Amino acid sequence: MKALRIMLVLAAFAVLAAVPWFGSDVLIQFGINALLLAVLAQGWNIIGGYTGYASFGNSVFYGLGSYGVGIAMAQWHLPFAVGLVFGVVLAVTFAVLLGIPVLRLRGHYFAIATLALAQVMTAIVSNVELAGQNIGLVLPPLNNDRLFYELSLGLLVLATLTVFWLTRSRFGFGLIAIRENEEGAEVMGVNTTLYKTMAFALSGVFSALAGGIHAYWVTFIDPESAFDISLNVKMIIMAVFGGPGTVLGPVVGALSLSAISEFLSSEITSLASLFFGIVVVVAVVIMPRGLADMLRRFRKTGWRYFAENIRTHRL
Amino acid sequence: MLKFSGLPATLAAAAVAMTLGAMSSGPALAKDIVLGASVQLTGPVANTGRYYRDAYQLAVDKINEAGGVKIGDETYKLALKIYDNQSDVNLSVRQYTQLVSRDNVNFLLGPFASNFALADSAVSEKYKIPMVQGGGASDQIFARNFKYIFGTLAPASNYFGSTIEMMKELDPPPKTVALLYADDAFDVSVAEGTRPKLKAAGFTIAMDERYSTNATDFNSLLSQIKSKNVDAVLVAGHETEILNFVRQAKSLAVAPKMYSFTVGVPSEDFRKALGKDADYAFGMTAWLPSADLKDRWFGDAAQFASAFKAKFGYDPDYHAASGAADVEALVKAMEDAGTIDPAKVRDALAKVDFESLYGRIAFDNNGQIDLPQTVIQVQGDALVPIYGVHGKVAPPKYPMPAWNAR
Amino acid sequence: MDLLGQVLINGILLGGLYAMMALGLALVWGVLNIVNLAHGAFIMLGAYVSLYLFTYAHIDPFLGLPITAAVMFAIGYGVQRGILNLIVRAPMFNTLLITFGLEVVLTYLAQLAFSADFRTINPTYAGDSIVLGPVVLPLARLMAFGVAIALTVGMWLFLLHTRLGRAIRATAQNLVAARLYGVEPRHLYAVTFGIGIALAGAAGGLYGTVSQINPYIGAGLTAKSFAISIIGGLDNPLGVIVGGLFLGILESLTALYIGPTYADVASFGVLVLVLIVRPTGLLGKAA
Repeated sequence: MKALRIMLVLAAFAVLAAVPWFGSDVLIQFGINALLLAVLAQGWNIIGGYTGYASFGNSVFYGLGSYGVGIAMAQWHLPFAVGLVFGVVLAVTFAVLLGIPVLRLRGHYFAIATLALAQVMTAIVSNVELAGQNIGLVLPPLNNDRLFYELSLGLLVLATLTVFWLTRSRFGFGLIAIRENEEGAEVMGVNTTLYKTMAFALSGVFSALAGGIHAYWVTFIDPESAFDISLNVKMIIMAVFGGPGTVLGPVVGALSLSAISEFLSSEITSLASLFFGIVVVVAVVIMPRGLADMLRRFRKTGWRYFAENIRTHRL
Repeated sequence: MLKFSGLPATLAAAAVAMTLGAMSSGPALAKDIVLGASVQLTGPVANTGRYYRDAYQLAVDKINEAGGVKIGDETYKLALKIYDNQSDVNLSVRQYTQLVSRDNVNFLLGPFASNFALADSAVSEKYKIPMVQGGGASDQIFARNFKYIFGTLAPASNYFGSTIEMMKELDPPPKTVALLYADDAFDVSVAEGTRPKLKAAGFTIAMDERYSTNATDFNSLLSQIKSKNVDAVLVAGHETEILNFVRQAKSLAVAPKMYSFTVGVPSEDFRKALGKDADYAFGMTAWLPSADLKDRWFGDAAQFASAFKAKFGYDPDYHAASGAADVEALVKAMEDAGTIDPAKVRDALAKVDFESLYGRIAFDNNGQIDLPQTVIQVQGDALVPIYGVHGKVAPPKYPMPAWNAR
Repeated sequence: MDLLGQVLINGILLGGLYAMMALGLALVWGVLNIVNLAHGAFIMLGAYVSLYLFTYAHIDPFLGLPITAAVMFAIGYGVQRGILNLIVRAPMFNTLLITFGLEVVLTYLAQLAFSADFRTINPTYAGDSIVLGPVVLPLARLMAFGVAIALTVGMWLFLLHTRLGRAIRATAQNLVAARLYGVEPRHLYAVTFGIGIALAGAAGGLYGTVSQINPYIGAGLTAKSFAISIIGGLDNPLGVIVGGLFLGILESLTALYIGPTYADVASFGVLVLVLIVRPTGLLGKAA
């Protein structure tokens, strides 16, 4: 059983890794996008899924990562790798400086505070000369989608392995303890501030790397697209759709929702967003605990699963 | 504890599904030359995006009705493939890639707005497929030395040029000027071009303020305009901002001697939303539906405008004319090149020089055309051309009276 | 000095409108613990209801506010009863997600129904103003300010002094306590959400008389409403007045002294600060 599972994961990985060698340009491009979204969902999973803090500030990390690469390459003419590191440094600094005060907040208050941080960052960056103000930065183009694809896939694997490690490490157990009962975790001797800040920073590192790769790939960033809050909402939807607090849930959620959304926007082009909204509403109503929970329990309960969900969660 | 054994299986399934999902390919139409574009049909700029979709459609239909495109001995029909980018830059980049690599379109037409053109031009450059776009005017688009991007909007930096010429002849002449501009690529380019022109013409710049794109509250700026008693106000922004600006100017009783806006004034939607409060507003357009602009397909610009209105139920403005000219420029280049080979058509595009319903189309080395802006003003229900290339056309209503004296 | 006076007046009047925008959000959040990301979209819908009443039935936007509010109440009641009640006890993320989904749906339906054109509600007096010595008071904003304050105070009295109001407040503390008032919780939730949406709709009607409307204004208004409710605090409906005025004045002064592009830095920066230093808001009980 366990061996089968590992083989399935490896097979999926092999299929994904081979895509650039047989897939069309559109597929590769779609793949880069879907993989980066999966990285973001997986990054959010660390702070949102495992630690239980609904961060709307991960788009800030993504934006800082984008601008790290953007500023390094467009303004200072440094190599891409230096930009990535710069972006990660910015993100970690941000996570530590603002994480400590903001992570004291709970529930909706934390969500709103991080949402506001994203707004503040958009507004600040549109006034910073070095970051090209609100006009944005144009990066030198690199015509190598295979590279971007494999980089994104590599990052996703790294993020997923990190989350896998979380599930069997003391650090990860600490985070779960915080999610389940923060006071209890404190009593048990978990340094909650340190753990939360580290989770926030770790989540930020992956988001920043994704942002950096994306920036170099699209060759153009501006504050609105870099700190886009709807991107943050997307990562939450993807993680929650797949199953927050699971190793593979966010990845599955991101890949399947990306495919649905891509299909909709090329087939019924103008109604795509409408359908996406409806999918989200329906998914939340009938499976509020995500795909992972559904897959686990569907076999036992069958179609009654959906009705039971509604019965449990309604007023 | 049973872990979620379903997930790995689902992951594998998702990986395969994702791979297959994006591979289905559209049918290729034989003998048709396909033009592709990704345009804002939904989202915040959809009301300008539609000009492009409609203009492309009208031009393609008209050319097909007239028999199509003659290349060598063969005649081809044009076909159009349009996606809705939902006003999302990233999606538009992906859709252009899809147009080129999956739908196998022959040539590209542009999106609306400078930031889109800036990002999307990277796709045309990468695949070496010419894109003629009539929606982005920022000088940045053409400063990258790209070979496959051509633009039919007049350069942003010269938008207020003719307005400043006109201001010099006003009586009594305005002395102090407020320059207000949104913080996006296009409007910053406008401001950078306008500033030296104002100084050279001897005006005092009393206010020079950048504001946030999508700002809704102009009360602080308007109160400053009033307190500094500024004579002329030049605003480079977006239609929503300018609507709010005019309404708030009225409610605060701020009436400078004149104000002029880069966008809005030529569009019917704008004048309808403001009603009679639109009166006296100056604006500019690189295009007016005049019978003097002769066109091979439509006869002239006036006939284009009436055909457009008849088909879509609203008046075209320069966005639409620019979009139609993009299609015509591609057709002309294909005919000149005698082939649909993208590289040869690209070279032919660089050399085209013809009169169209939009004006003279001839691209400079960067791929942009130069069109003079005509100053226009709302006078009662009419939109009146005031000042063109050859100087004064009609008398402006100046100075603007106080709001309670109208 | 005149300039400062005028800018302060502008800020105060803007603040009244802000208070009105946030009132419904604060109520729904404070009582039902639902953070409604679709709030701005409901404001937008309310603006269109007012616009249609004005354009086709020639009902003055201010006099038509009760009709707008009634229509929006019905929509709000239906949404809570038909959709949101189904997930009230699901994990917290879900209400955020479902209201986000609703926002997307409402925005696109609005575009289909009303087109992306920019519209304004423009009664003849919309641009009139009252001149008081050196300062000018825009009439429509002044009226909107008056309505906003009246409705907020009215809301406060309703919650304190009516049976339904007390039941709603009891719900905020404890669902079981609410049953003591003899109101069925499903109905009570829907009524509360309906009132919140009715207030959002009324705010939309006021918004349309002073600003332009299009289907996409919602998201920005939601963000502003969050800032206002948090700064004011959720415990007390009067908090939104404090939050609204604070934000209105802050933004106006920032635009004047620092520059218009810094208004958002100021308002959302203050929001973060308030959350960190005093998460219960300026008027809220100390934590």
